[in-house]
Amino acid sequence: MATLSSSPHCSSSPYYSNSSSIVFHHQKVVTLSSIRPQSFGPGRFSLQSKTKPNSIVVCMQDGAAAATISPIENETPLKKLTDGLLNVASPEDRKEAAAFDINRDKSTVSVTVVGASGDLAKKKIFPALFALYYEGCLPEHFTVFGYARSKMTDAELRTMVSKTLTCRIDKRENCGEKMEEFLNRCFYHCGQYDSQEHFGELDKKLKEQEAGRVSNRLFYLSIPPNIFIDAVKCASLSASAANGWTRVIVEKPFGRDSESSAALTKALKQYLEEDQIFRIDHYLGKELVENLSVLRFSNLIFEPLWSRQYIRNVQLIFSEDFGTEGRGGYFDSYGIIRDIMQNHLLQILALFAMETPVSLDAEDIRNEKVKVLRSMRPLKLDDVVIGQYKSHTKGVVSYPAYTDDKTVSKDSRTPTFAAAALFIDNSRWDGVPFLMKAGKALHNRRAEIRVQFRHVPGNLYNRTFGTDLDQATNELVIRVQPDEAIYLKINNKVPGLGMRLDRSHLNLLYAARYSKEIPDAYERLLLDAIEGERRLFIRSDELDAAWSLFTPVLKEIEERKITPEYYPYGSRGPVGAHYLAARYNVRWGDLGLEQ
Amino acid sequence: MAAQLSPSSSSSSSTLSFSSDRYTRKCYCKQFSRVCYRAHSSIWVPKIFSRIHSRNPSDLNSSNGYPLNAVSLQDGSMSKPLAEEVPASRPGEAETTLSITVVGASGDLAKKKIFPALFALFYEDFLPENFIVFGYARTKMTDEELRNMISTTLTCRVDKRENCADKMEQFLMKCYYHSGQYSSEDDFAKLDCKLKEKEGGSLSNRLFYLSVPPNIFVDAVKCASNKASSVSGWTRVIVEKPFGRDSESSRELTRCLMQYLSEDQIFRIDHYLGKELVENLSVLRFSNLVFEPLWSRNYIRNVQFIFSEDFGTEGRGGYFDNYGIIRDIMQNHLLQILALFAMETPVSLDAEDIRNEKVKVLRSMRPLQLEDVIVGQYKGHSKGGKSYPGYIDDPTVPKDSVTPTFAAAALFINNSRWDGVPFLMKAGKALHIRKAEIRVQFRHVPGNLYKWNFGTDLDKATNELVLRLQPDEAIYLKINNKVPGLGMRLDRSDLNLHYSARYRREIPDAYERLLLDAIEGERRLFIRSDELDAAWALFSPLLKELEEKKIAPELYPYGSRGPVGAHYLAAKHNVRWGDLAGED
Repeated sequence: MATLSSSPHCSSSPYYSNSSSIVFHHQKVVTLSSIRPQSFGPGRFSLQSKTKPNSIVVCMQDGAAAATISPIENETPLKKLTDGLLNVASPEDRKEAAAFDINRDKSTVSVTVVGASGDLAKKKIFPALFALYYEGCLPEHFTVFGYARSKMTDAELRTMVSKTLTCRIDKRENCGEKMEEFLNRCFYHCGQYDSQEHFGELDKKLKEQEAGRVSNRLFYLSIPPNIFIDAVKCASLSASAANGWTRVIVEKPFGRDSESSAALTKALKQYLEEDQIFRIDHYLGKELVENLSVLRFSNLIFEPLWSRQYIRNVQLIFSEDFGTEGRGGYFDSYGIIRDIMQNHLLQILALFAMETPVSLDAEDIRNEKVKVLRSMRPLKLDDVVIGQYKSHTKGVVSYPAYTDDKTVSKDSRTPTFAAAALFIDNSRWDGVPFLMKAGKALHNRRAEIRVQFRHVPGNLYNRTFGTDLDQATNELVIRVQPDEAIYLKINNKVPGLGMRLDRSHLNLLYAARYSKEIPDAYERLLLDAIEGERRLFIRSDELDAAWSLFTPVLKEIEERKITPEYYPYGSRGPVGAHYLAARYNVRWGDLGLEQ
Repeated sequence: MAAQLSPSSSSSSSTLSFSSDRYTRKCYCKQFSRVCYRAHSSIWVPKIFSRIHSRNPSDLNSSNGYPLNAVSLQDGSMSKPLAEEVPASRPGEAETTLSITVVGASGDLAKKKIFPALFALFYEDFLPENFIVFGYARTKMTDEELRNMISTTLTCRVDKRENCADKMEQFLMKCYYHSGQYSSEDDFAKLDCKLKEKEGGSLSNRLFYLSVPPNIFVDAVKCASNKASSVSGWTRVIVEKPFGRDSESSRELTRCLMQYLSEDQIFRIDHYLGKELVENLSVLRFSNLVFEPLWSRNYIRNVQFIFSEDFGTEGRGGYFDNYGIIRDIMQNHLLQILALFAMETPVSLDAEDIRNEKVKVLRSMRPLQLEDVIVGQYKGHSKGGKSYPGYIDDPTVPKDSVTPTFAAAALFINNSRWDGVPFLMKAGKALHIRKAEIRVQFRHVPGNLYKWNFGTDLDKATNELVLRLQPDEAIYLKINNKVPGLGMRLDRSDLNLHYSARYRREIPDAYERLLLDAIEGERRLFIRSDELDAAWALFSPLLKELEEKKIAPELYPYGSRGPVGAHYLAAKHNVRWGDLAGED
């Protein structure tokens, strides 16, 4: 315990000074300790503890373990072993920690950003890597490589990267220095995404930087879907780590439907093992989505309410206040359902609705999520409303329609808005509508989860509410962005001599309670990938199950050329969403007078 | 509905009951239909309108103004059927007068609470158009002198200051004084004459507020009842604690009162029940789906009722020394809140239904055992250059007093909902803080997936609901939450509602609410005789034992957190006081 919390890893993080709290390691240790007695004898542990003294930092211990066996081995049991070892061999931990300091530079992590000149890389990936470095969460020795087709020198890459780096608000000291140090670890390699030769050259450069250390390699594929496979193939065949782990982060889209997704997975599996593939869904890295499980499982007061007995409906709402703004090319061939619903919102839904997992281990959580997805009915066309934004003039400012976007075809019917009603046919959720809504060019930017509770049976205060009993139900709102917050709407007496009730909020505004800036989702996910924590990444069977819910309706929309309902840019979206909600006796919580 | 009402209110007054009274309320809730108004052409009806109106002019729909009005007429009718005929047969607003006589007008409570509360009600238009206020005490004083005395303590509500001086002037003009002995029927008869004079022959309703020492309660009640009862309207008497010292004296007092008054004329006031958050307790429980499922031994580990004052008796210990903190705070205020907290869902919000449920709770409780009580008394303490006196340094307190100024107790309700759940009470004077709150500590999460994140202290990880009655009214729910950041560290944070942040309106004083309720005949917040009996039955054996055995209180320094014995008592029942936990 003590050694864990004093782990040098992320040493500057304030959490680490507190010995009894902390970080991912704990979860692993916890769950592992429960697995330990069955799987391994104590003898193995002492043996391991001698041979693997440097197993404290999670990201390294995986590598170290893998080094003895095989780079592409499924490392989970090993990790469990080494983690379990941590838990058992507590008297030796301190000695090990000391030994570790001496040996720490024996292993290294190289992060290769494939598609380094792209937008995502510039805006999210490099800044996230820097933030991790700044917070001391990266191992002491690491290398960042940019890989793209453009010709660029290392210095040019550094200039490009440096523009988007920022230091966290809460500790600005040494920002300049830290940036300098970080940039010195950044290199660039120019190459084609489908050239094994170019990746071979990258491999040499990587080896040069790794300088004989145990090398772990993380590839972040930030490239268009059509070259995914080629890049994976080349990276895997020509640039895999020889003696450490090799992992690949892939970004959405993961196919367009069940078939293409299955084909993509199949192709990836030719070159990678399941546990090397990290399918990123950055919504799962959001602070309040992470907190969802904490709320449910560590508070007594929520779990009894978490079922059809008390919950009337659940709403998952995503809205953006801007359109495609000249970048509609990619979007137009996917549409909002694939872009937001089938992945982000469905993932959140699965987390929300899952049964209590056996442990917080990635596989246990993902098993539960898959069960939710497989208990759901495939979406029917009747239960979907689609919309597309049209131009709108407000005062002197005029906003373009979706089809005014030059990168979008004039007759596009691609939905920029969609609302859907989904159902989970299991004993916990039978009959509870899960409503989703996602749209671009709406009146505000927001992502939230709303849980509307049933009315109070035989409410003594019925008369106080007039006839609108709906108004009187409790609602739990988890606002993912902006201004992270959790609030519970309760009925409360208005202070005064009368007996008038009022819906007020029991609330927790993150900004008011936590002054620390909340890390970007990409930071968390990159760190997890480095540490081999798979909880927030999507497994192949999850992806399959998710697609099978949406594929039939997507096909039907496209085959029957369903025309979207038009809504003005900046409006609250098509009214069809209300009729859909009304059909299931739901009222959207975000469009009421009070929110 | 109006059809049902009009006959009942005009003729068959003796059969009137709470059920018809419920109709009336409903009637008013339903948007004050005009029919309804006419059917009830008593002067009170328009008053009711104005009350609700002035409360929330824009929210007629959602307000049910439920502690209603018109009730007062019907309730009165039960005790004085004759009088009840009058309003119906003699319609006309100008003809009914409400007179409020404050017996003990020169006392502290009258000056600090009763007159200001009456003025606030007047200012907010909750009093009927014709009302008079009489001060009655032994001191010789003129009307003018009374007015001067009162005027120094009147204040206008923060939220609307306009016309304050005017309003004050108008109010003071309705205040009169009559000097007399509390035990003299003659003097009360003279008061009666003066009252009649002011009432000018109209239908009169009379409310007596007895703010006098307990030893003259009964005399005053006797005289007021015999000589100054209203002949044409209702007569009600508000009595203040103490309601006896134990079961016997309380029963004796009740018996004496009942000689002159019927049960429904007696309004035993417990001003804690008039506090905003106590009123809100039932609203929280019964109008939110999210709380009711949790409200039982299945989820609640313990409940704590905490009262603390940051000052001592300060030279006024004479009365207190005779009673002690258990009688002064626990047996009434805290126990009443406990009963409200723990009661089963009442059939309706009617006073009798609620009080029936409260009595059931009290009767399901075990009488307190000595080993479940800790008593304390504050001693002198010097901090910096300042020195604070001990309780026995108070000149009005005997030097060898063992009267507790602090007490903590563990109570249990032996019913199916609460079996085994400790209800802890704590009350004290001269502590480090002034506060009154209810804390509900929930059980730990069974099989908590996150338990490793809490180290070994699983206690820290439980949820807690806190209702802070004073100061700074607030409700907050402690939840476990992930600390934002890359790690997985949990934190207890609050889901909270601070009244001052949400409601800018000043919260009315408890006395305003209770006076208004007494005027309107709403008995929900007053203590019925059987409730009082049941409450004493819980505490009397213990109090007797404490006194007979002369149990010495544990001394604690003035301004401290109280005797440590309270922690050991809590520990015995596997509880940890929520207010001394460091994080509140």
